[in-house]
This record gives sequence, structure tokens and C-alpha cells, in this order.
Amino acid sequence: MKTQILHKRLERYLRGEATPAESRQIQAWLSCTTEDRELTAEERSRLEIEILSEIQAHTAYPLFYPQKQKPWWQKIAALF
Amino acid sequence: MSRNYSPDQVLADRLMQDDTVAFEELYRRYWHSLFSYSYNKLHNVDDARKIVRTIFIDLWEGRKSIPATFSLSNHLYTQVRTAVVKALEEKLLAISAEESCTDEILEEFTATALQKAKEPQVKKYEPIRHSEIRRQQTIYNTDKEQAGIYMHVKWLFQALNNKIYS
Repeated sequence: MKTQILHKRLERYLRGEATPAESRQIQAWLSCTTEDRELTAEERSRLEIEILSEIQAHTAYPLFYPQKQKPWWQKIAALF
Repeated sequence: MSRNYSPDQVLADRLMQDDTVAFEELYRRYWHSLFSYSYNKLHNVDDARKIVRTIFIDLWEGRKSIPATFSLSNHLYTQVRTAVVKALEEKLLAISAEESCTDEILEEFTATALQKAKEPQVKKYEPIRHSEIRRQQTIYNTDKEQAGIYMHVKWLFQALNNKIYS
């Protein structure tokens, strides 16, 4: 399929103007989860921290809603 | 992730009260499935990363308007699907002149590739490791020992109780 044809189909789908056949095609593509590209464990943990820090930088929630420090007995209890 | 598992609904309620711990718990619970879905569809780490970031920023910013019958997994699933289509549409717009970059993705739209979506998912068989069997047996044995000790202590207390009140 040509890039331009697919682009127009996607555009129509996002606007809610796609034909039933086009919608089915895009939904079938979205539902197809046979591929499995996995990240390594290191990449995964690095990405987890990086994305969270990007979210924190964007929303600044740690500044507006700082986490309350737990009392010492709750920290000890959490270990068990 | 905390040791005590809280259901999504509880975390969503806490999120509405600006609980950042609940938000991070939800992030840790769902980020990877959203990321790997986007990554498998768009074949690009940066695009997948951008999608995850946007979804969670929107979740935080829209936390006050979460409806009562809110299903977080459904919401995230819908969001990621729409975001993937939008990202692909933008990608195709940007590289409409040079078609080779998206060849892999374009192939996925062919009828034969889409047939796979109709096929039932077969769960991958992973043989259980010996270490895992040993670990489970250890847990079972420890539980049995603990149950035995508990029964002994219970019997001792009952005996003492009987002695005192008789």
C-alpha cells in the first residue's frame, strides 16, 4: 500500500469519516498483537525512570504535591 | 511497587485526591504494556515513549474529572490505540516524500498480515525451571512447618486456659 493512501485512510479514521471497510482494516491492524519486540531488563528499567521523570518535569507534581514522609514505624512495618 | 496490592479503582479514587503515590503506582503498573504495544506498532522507541508520556500527563491533568464508573484499563487501552493511529498519521505526513522508512509498517496493513489478527492467540509455553519448583516447595514446606507451630501454640494456650479455669 502506498504511504499517501494509508495516510488519507488514517486521517479519515481519526475524523470519524472512514468507510466501514477502512475502519475494519485499521482496527484489525490495531488488534494484531502477534509481534513481540521486547526490551532488555536494563533498557526497561532505564526507560521507566526516564519517562516518569519527564512526566514529573512536565506536570511538576512533586513540587505541588510533595510526598509526605512516612513515620519510622510504618517504614519498618513495610519491610515485613 | 508497594507490597500491598490496591485495585485500580482504589488508586483512581486516591488519584482524584491528588495522591502522587497512587499515580506512580498506576504508572508502574501500566507503562510497560502501553509502551510495548506502541513500540510493536510504530517500531520506534521515541514515538512509543512520547505516547506513554502524553497518556500519563493527560491522566494526571484530567484526574479531577474522572467519572465514577471509570475503568482505568479501558481508558488507557482506548487512549493508546488512538495515540498510535495519530502518531502513524503524523509520521506518514512527515515522510510522504520518502516512502522507504515506513515499509515495515505498510506491510502490516496487507490482507495477509491482518489475517493474523483473527487467529487465536497461542500462549507461549515456558518450561518451569527447577529453581522455581524448588522455591515453591520451600514455600510449601515453610507454610506446613508454620502451620504445625501454630497448632502447637494454639494447643498450649488451650491447655493453659483449661488449667487456669478448671
